[in-house]
Amino acid sequence: MESVTTNKRRATDNVCISYTGLFDSEILTILAQGIEGTLTSNDKVTKKVFKIFLELAQNISQYSLEREPNSSGESMGVGTMLIKEYDDYFQFSTGNKTTMESIIPVIEKCDNINSMTRDKLREYRRLQRNMPASNKGGGNIGLIQVALTADNPIEYGVVKCEDNNYFYIVSVKINK
Amino acid sequence: MENILIEEKREVYIEPAVDFNAQTGRCIIKGESFLEETSKFYSPLLQWLTDYLKQAEKIEFILQLKYFNTSTSKWILNMLGVLKRFEERGGKVKVVWYFFKDDADMRDDIKDYIYGSNLKIDMVPFE
Repeated sequence: MESVTTNKRRATDNVCISYTGLFDSEILTILAQGIEGTLTSNDKVTKKVFKIFLELAQNISQYSLEREPNSSGESMGVGTMLIKEYDDYFQFSTGNKTTMESIIPVIEKCDNINSMTRDKLREYRRLQRNMPASNKGGGNIGLIQVALTADNPIEYGVVKCEDNNYFYIVSVKINK
Repeated sequence: MENILIEEKREVYIEPAVDFNAQTGRCIIKGESFLEETSKFYSPLLQWLTDYLKQAEKIEFILQLKYFNTSTSKWILNMLGVLKRFEERGGKVKVVWYFFKDDADMRDDIKDYIYGSNLKIDMVPFE
């Protein structure tokens, strides 16, 4: 039985910050402070993690299928965020519920982004910046920016939920 | 014409400081720009620039943004677009973009803005 405990400890040892719940501005403030204050003394890495956090957390607030009202009654997304630390990198992951219809274009976009060189990605970002903004203002550039900032491919996963919706996980490594 | 003066606001979403001066033609956006409702913040700035450049002969546009989110990035390009059209009408445009010298991502990004806007942008690294 001891081996189970050891495995368990190993699975959680690397976790720096983990949160599941409403992604409203109050909790974003707390998470932001956690990232800026405690993650690492390497300023360059902190900036990268912070930038990725803001893009992906904003996606959860705006696009998560699971929604709850915040203290001012505004409907905000519910999701999960996890930052793990390894010897050479931080792993930043977020997850939220979504529908199959909304997830397919996002997955295609991730594959497309991952197939591009850095120069191609910059060109793609330039093109997207010239396109009209989506109605929520995110500009469709968030994932491109995440890939450029992390300088690593975007990993993703989709898990079917009991209610027939899907849980979408996006994850990137940020090298130390 | 009235000037625009906005102080930097730092809550979870961060508004940059703005100083658009119609008397001097010097327009500065400084700090960080991570906004939730970007258009609410930037559309008055874009309108101001459009109005100002109808009667101005020159403009100095200074960006000193440490971070900006992707929805902000579109508004920056829109503002540079207004400046470019002013330049094509014969207006005098000077754009200066300050960035931390170690921020290679920002350096690349500014180069992409030069390419995307077709404007000359003076890139000034600082420590």
